[in-house]
Amino acid sequence: MIDVQDLSKDYMQKHKDPGLSGALKGLVKPEYKVVHAVRDLSFHIGEGEIVGFIGPNGAGKSTTIKMMSGILTPTKGRVLIDGRDITKHRKEVVRNIGVVFGQRTQLNWDLRLGESFELLKHIYQIRQADYDRTLDELDRILGIKEIIDKPVRQMSLGQRVKGDLVASMLHSPKVLFLDEPTIGLDVSAKFALRKFIKEINRVRKTTVILTTHDLGDIQELCERIIIINHGVMMEDGNLSQIVDRIAPYKTLVVEYYDEAAPEHPRCEMILHEGNVAKYRFLKNDLTAAEIIADLSKVKTIKDVSIEEAGIDDIIKVAYGA
Amino acid sequence: MGFAIIKFVVESFGEINGWNYGQLAFLYGLSVISHALSMIFFVQGWFMGYYVIEGDFDRYLTRPLGVLYQFFFTNINIFGVTDLIPGILVFIYGCVKCEVTVNLLFILQVVVILVGATLIRGGIYILLGSTSFHTRSAVDFGQYTQEIMDKTTMYPLSMYPESMQFILTYLIPVGWISFYPVSALLGIDSAYNAMLVPLITLGVGILVMLVAGAYFSMGLRKYGSAGN
Ligand SMILES: Nc1ncnc2c1ncn2[C@@H]1O[C@H](COP(=O)(O)OP(=O)(O)OP(=O)(O)O)[C@@H](O)[C@H]1O
Ligand SMILES: [Mg+2]
Repeated sequence: MIDVQDLSKDYMQKHKDPGLSGALKGLVKPEYKVVHAVRDLSFHIGEGEIVGFIGPNGAGKSTTIKMMSGILTPTKGRVLIDGRDITKHRKEVVRNIGVVFGQRTQLNWDLRLGESFELLKHIYQIRQADYDRTLDELDRILGIKEIIDKPVRQMSLGQRVKGDLVASMLHSPKVLFLDEPTIGLDVSAKFALRKFIKEINRVRKTTVILTTHDLGDIQELCERIIIINHGVMMEDGNLSQIVDRIAPYKTLVVEYYDEAAPEHPRCEMILHEGNVAKYRFLKNDLTAAEIIADLSKVKTIKDVSIEEAGIDDIIKVAYGA
Repeated sequence: MGFAIIKFVVESFGEINGWNYGQLAFLYGLSVISHALSMIFFVQGWFMGYYVIEGDFDRYLTRPLGVLYQFFFTNINIFGVTDLIPGILVFIYGCVKCEVTVNLLFILQVVVILVGATLIRGGIYILLGSTSFHTRSAVDFGQYTQEIMDKTTMYPLSMYPESMQFILTYLIPVGWISFYPVSALLGIDSAYNAMLVPLITLGVGILVMLVAGAYFSMGLRKYGSAGN
């Protein structure tokens, strides 16, 4: 479905020296600083997958999405969608994709939402019957018809993102790119959006590539994640396998009756605050029961609980935080 | 305003460079009409730099149509019509003064000239606007360009030095917007064939557009969107 080969993007950022002389120099002979935003990314995404793109700010996620959706021309490498190079055959290939940026609308500020949809209907030459059917279907999931007569300018962020999502799906694309779609949304809007993504993926077999800083999105939606940092691929694979490999531990939380907490020889005490201590241990090495047994020989335990390693743990490792 | 000056000059001196009052009105009117048409269809070109800086080409790039096509045709400026009406009035006035026979051929010639002239103007806007892809800055070139184009298309080109005429004919071919076609149509200079010159204007218009389109596409490859 999607083949990304040696994809790289350099940006030329204008470098300005401070002060008047700097400004003049910039006018006469501007100096550029090369930013390697994305370096040699290669991966394959199959039909019907939902892939989460994660990485810290400035990692190159948006840049990658923009190259995959035909907005930016790669400095090196290429993106094939259904075997066709999106840079070379942009007009044909983009028929099969939809794109939503959570931070910026693709809709026309001056039009009512419905008018923007009509415009898209003409641009993609969607047949009336298909258009009506798709709109009904999307309305059932997102409840769009109540805001269809609203000018985009007057919409709340959540309404606008809904509008953008529907707009991106009107032509029934095979691939949907979502760049931080849940940013700034409240809990129920996030919930609706996740439901929407799951639905279109299940019913229409739409392939979804999304970036997010919300680990809930990842947990809910993605079986597969790709982690990038400094434009370089750090991880690509099944979410739970990556968690198992990078963070093969659990954490035992123990509460005592006073502030003294004993160490355990095969655990790392990662927190000791008041009467509570957290012991991190390797899943394959040890069980929580053994630790509890060992500890209770030394000191009376009031309460215990277990924390599983999650995406936040792998992110700490992968981001180098 | 510009035409008031012409009127003043002509009334004081009788003519400009061998062009009488009616011929000047014809030239002026035709130039204003193509200017108005370019304002209707291509004025967005003046603002291309802002689109480049703000990353506003993103939405056009993700849709299955030509970027330039969407850029201009989703931004058609109906207010350009306000320039169209005075242009038409002065042009009709010029036609009457010059006693031209208005027949099908004449109308066809004028239409061909106007299409060519509008394309030349539009192409120049695109060429200038596309420099923003390389400079990464938005220069408001509209005003200057307009002044230069007004000065070179509303008055006979023959009043400028020959080197200027050469430049304005072959390098920045604004001479074809009004001066050469009107010289031919009104028979002011017998060297210009009234059948051929309108077609040359159209040809030059298409050529300028093609070059502009290619330069724009080159720029688009350097387009950097905006880092949100
Ligand atoms: N239009 C641009 N011009 C110049 N440099 C850019 C541009 N867009 C992004 N960059 C730079 O490229 C790098 C990657 O940016 P990108 O927006 O792809 O990161 P990201 O992973 O999407 O980050 P975030 O999580 O903050 O959205 C950054 O160093 C950024 O400063
Ligand atoms: Mg981003």
